[in-house]
Amino acid sequence: MFGFISIAVIAALGFAAFNYFAVKKMDNGNEQMIEIAGAIEDGSKAFIRYEYKIIAIVAFAIAILLSLVVSWHTAVTFILGAVMSASAGWIGMKIATLANVRVTNTAKETRSIGATLKVAFRGGSVMGLCVGGFALLGLGIIYFVFGKVLGQTSPEQLQIHTNWLGIADIPFTMTVSGYALGCSIIAMFNRVGGGIYTKAADMGADLVGKTEAGIPEDDPRNPATIADNVGDNVGDVAGLGADLLESFVGAIISSVVLAAYMFYTGNKIGSPLDSELVVKLIYFPVLFASIGLISSIIGVFTLIARKVSAHPHRELNIATWVSASLTLILTGIFTWYYFKGSDVAQAGFKAGVFSPWIAAIMGIVSGIIIGQLAEYYTSYDFKPTGKIAEASCEGTALTITQGLAAGMTSVFAPVVMLAVAIIAANAVAGLYGVAMAAVGMLSFVAATVSVDTYGPIADNAGGISEMAKLDPEVREITDKLDSVGNTTAAIGKGFAIGSAALAALSLFASFLYAQKGANIDEGFSLVLNMINTMTLAGALVGAALPYLFSGILIEAVAKAARSMVQEVRRQFKEMPGILTGEEKPDYKTCIEISTKGSIREMVLPALISVSMPLICGFIFGADFVGGLLIGTTLSSIMLALFTANSGGAWDNAKKYVEQGHYGGKGSDIHKAAVVGDTVGDPLKDTVGPSLDILIKIMAVVSLISVSIFGKYNLFSIFGW
Amino acid sequence: MIYYYLTIYPMEALVASQLEPKKFASYMALGSRKGSAEQLAFMTVTPDCSNSFDWKHAIEHCKPHPDGKLKNSVYLSIYRVLEHIPLEALGTCYLVTKDGLSLPIEKMDYAKCGNSEPFSLYQEICPVSPLTISSLKPVEFAEYIINGSGKISLPAIIFADIGIIDFDDMENSGNVGGFYDHNTEHLKECISEIQERDGKKTKIVDRSYASRFSYQVIGKGIFAARENEIVYYPMPGREELKKIDYDWGRSALIF
Repeated sequence: MFGFISIAVIAALGFAAFNYFAVKKMDNGNEQMIEIAGAIEDGSKAFIRYEYKIIAIVAFAIAILLSLVVSWHTAVTFILGAVMSASAGWIGMKIATLANVRVTNTAKETRSIGATLKVAFRGGSVMGLCVGGFALLGLGIIYFVFGKVLGQTSPEQLQIHTNWLGIADIPFTMTVSGYALGCSIIAMFNRVGGGIYTKAADMGADLVGKTEAGIPEDDPRNPATIADNVGDNVGDVAGLGADLLESFVGAIISSVVLAAYMFYTGNKIGSPLDSELVVKLIYFPVLFASIGLISSIIGVFTLIARKVSAHPHRELNIATWVSASLTLILTGIFTWYYFKGSDVAQAGFKAGVFSPWIAAIMGIVSGIIIGQLAEYYTSYDFKPTGKIAEASCEGTALTITQGLAAGMTSVFAPVVMLAVAIIAANAVAGLYGVAMAAVGMLSFVAATVSVDTYGPIADNAGGISEMAKLDPEVREITDKLDSVGNTTAAIGKGFAIGSAALAALSLFASFLYAQKGANIDEGFSLVLNMINTMTLAGALVGAALPYLFSGILIEAVAKAARSMVQEVRRQFKEMPGILTGEEKPDYKTCIEISTKGSIREMVLPALISVSMPLICGFIFGADFVGGLLIGTTLSSIMLALFTANSGGAWDNAKKYVEQGHYGGKGSDIHKAAVVGDTVGDPLKDTVGPSLDILIKIMAVVSLISVSIFGKYNLFSIFGW
Repeated sequence: MIYYYLTIYPMEALVASQLEPKKFASYMALGSRKGSAEQLAFMTVTPDCSNSFDWKHAIEHCKPHPDGKLKNSVYLSIYRVLEHIPLEALGTCYLVTKDGLSLPIEKMDYAKCGNSEPFSLYQEICPVSPLTISSLKPVEFAEYIINGSGKISLPAIIFADIGIIDFDDMENSGNVGGFYDHNTEHLKECISEIQERDGKKTKIVDRSYASRFSYQVIGKGIFAARENEIVYYPMPGREELKKIDYDWGRSALIF
């Protein structure tokens, strides 16, 4: 079993290392290209270093608290999670900054879309494989050390234990939750910090450079252009990778926690589960994910190893479909082999040994459909975005109105899809099935992250080719790859939201189990009582929380963007030689503004996400937090879909106009579309992705701390 | 060395400068300190081509500053400048974007202009700037404006031929900027009038369209005409422009 996980991890990280060095040894172009890429790399490193220093302090404090209040193993796994996620983010950012210039140079040398695509995808695959590899490496270590060596997965230890504070929990559930929390902390900082950084730089570059000074996108005369490219790496590479790693881990651990509580509950209510089956259920998600990782390696390999066509979108789809199809087939065979002979009906499996596999397929299918729906609502090939472009003919107000309409409408279908997946997964395999649906959706995460990371690398490559003033033919190649990246990003966001929702709901179910803890008795049923005023009040507050969180984030972006706008204006005014090309802009100051601004501004939203369940829990108790979680989860899913899709639609409506529709660039319609895009920018790239993390981090924090505030809270202490 | 420039858009003026054309273009668009961003067009002019201007004034005042910096501009004349400059004295035409990039266009024999469409849209640039629809070819249009037989007459004119889009398919207009943003119904009516009314050869579409003029809409090119004379500055097509100066094309929002 461990051998199988090890093979998957070694294969993934080994292949990532191979691709890393293969990209690194490629020629990085002429002096100018090297200089530009060097500035982007330095800026990205400076941000990540700065950010990781802050995270280290926060993580250290949390680890001490966990070791004192929960257990030392939770603290250790928390640090392990943070290290794994941070490592994946760092390597992803590193390869993105190495690959960007090599992609540009490949376009310059070969003039081939296919060859250039391969380099960009090879770069992206390093991040994808690291996300899958590091997530499973950490889990593998936990399963081996805590599960096997310390025996936490043995039936004897799958019981409620009480610590010195009187806090009761099943040790292994806390061990894996600590790991998830470590991943969540990195994801929160990377996503929020990166999201603020990237949009502040982007808006600063556009609002002054493009709109006021009339200089084109990625023009080297724009002081904020390097910061804009740095933003792609820290937000869209490191941020996205950490986000999906966290979802991946969250989905796996929620199944594990559920299995452990199912076992414990079964014993307490007089319908015990076979101990061998429980151990199987605990190991199944990790093994399932390992197969997904191996399938992803093959999927990635199919694109890298062969000669690819000049149709990037088709090629990327092939890599994803190969990964998904292989995952489907191999996990089907594995599930049958793994559970054959077990009495799976005990676990509530209604479709025999294939039940958890069918549930996982529900996740895969719903993930793909949600991704396609995201494309439908955000691509200019379809009506919703086309309507926004058309509405722009009537002015800015209607651009905004139509975009809001598209965003709001876009929420319904994916949510129905999620509901269908949840009902179906629950019907075949109970709540464990819902968790497995999340695992299924993310099982080939290495492939989807590879495709998603390809986007910002291609975007950076386009920026470098513009800044280095390469031939139009080269710029056209990188532009084409970049535009495909925009589509994959929209699909990726849909996937991220869908998987986050399923993972959060599974974690929520685990929370309800953990809330009962040792009090589970024969009359126990897993119910969230919405008539309970505490729960209802919590749900209300929870539903409002994503709006507060989003408002703070948008304000943070606006604040950082304003500083950037003022700096770019200052440079143009004080250094008139910049625009004539006689003077070099001060890129570093812009990078510093984005870095400091985003680090400063990310603290409050990050603190809210971690502290809200704790504050509410210690004041109002577990029922309130249960309501808070469900309220936040439901509200966040809607808001995340709305923000991601409306922002994406506004962005692509502008791109559609820029392609020479309704007057194209410079027309009043274009100006209206640009306003829509600017409004949508912080929504789709900062708020939407950060909401994914908000729901998961709140669920994990609540899961870990419910046994504490369930016992110690103001309301129960004073007997209210 | 002193260069002489006839700025034709947005203001008609004769300017002497020590800056060579590309630098002059950048200076005029961006200013030296004021931080402006202005689209403009100008043509180089052979010195001493006319007695109407004080060339000596230019030589006396167009000298480097005490710190050695070159003199940016000395205005020799504004208002009614073009009419005093013979066409053979006009050199390269520079189209300058608001971020200071310039595209030089050399003049060419009018015969190479090619066949005209049944009607043309002309943006008059200098000295007046209405938008006119006409069934006349550029040379005939110039003659019509210059010959003095009508009430409306000019001694010389610079105008651009505007590419006409399919008004029934605005969605696929191409990158034409804000030129066709407003009042296309009126433009369509004017076109119909030219086509359908016998004897109606030209019609002013709008007196103030010049503010929406952009390089994106220039069709065949720019024409400069005096009595019995016309010169032609051909606008490069997209593919040609890509090869000549892609960055200018991006700044001009053509790409």
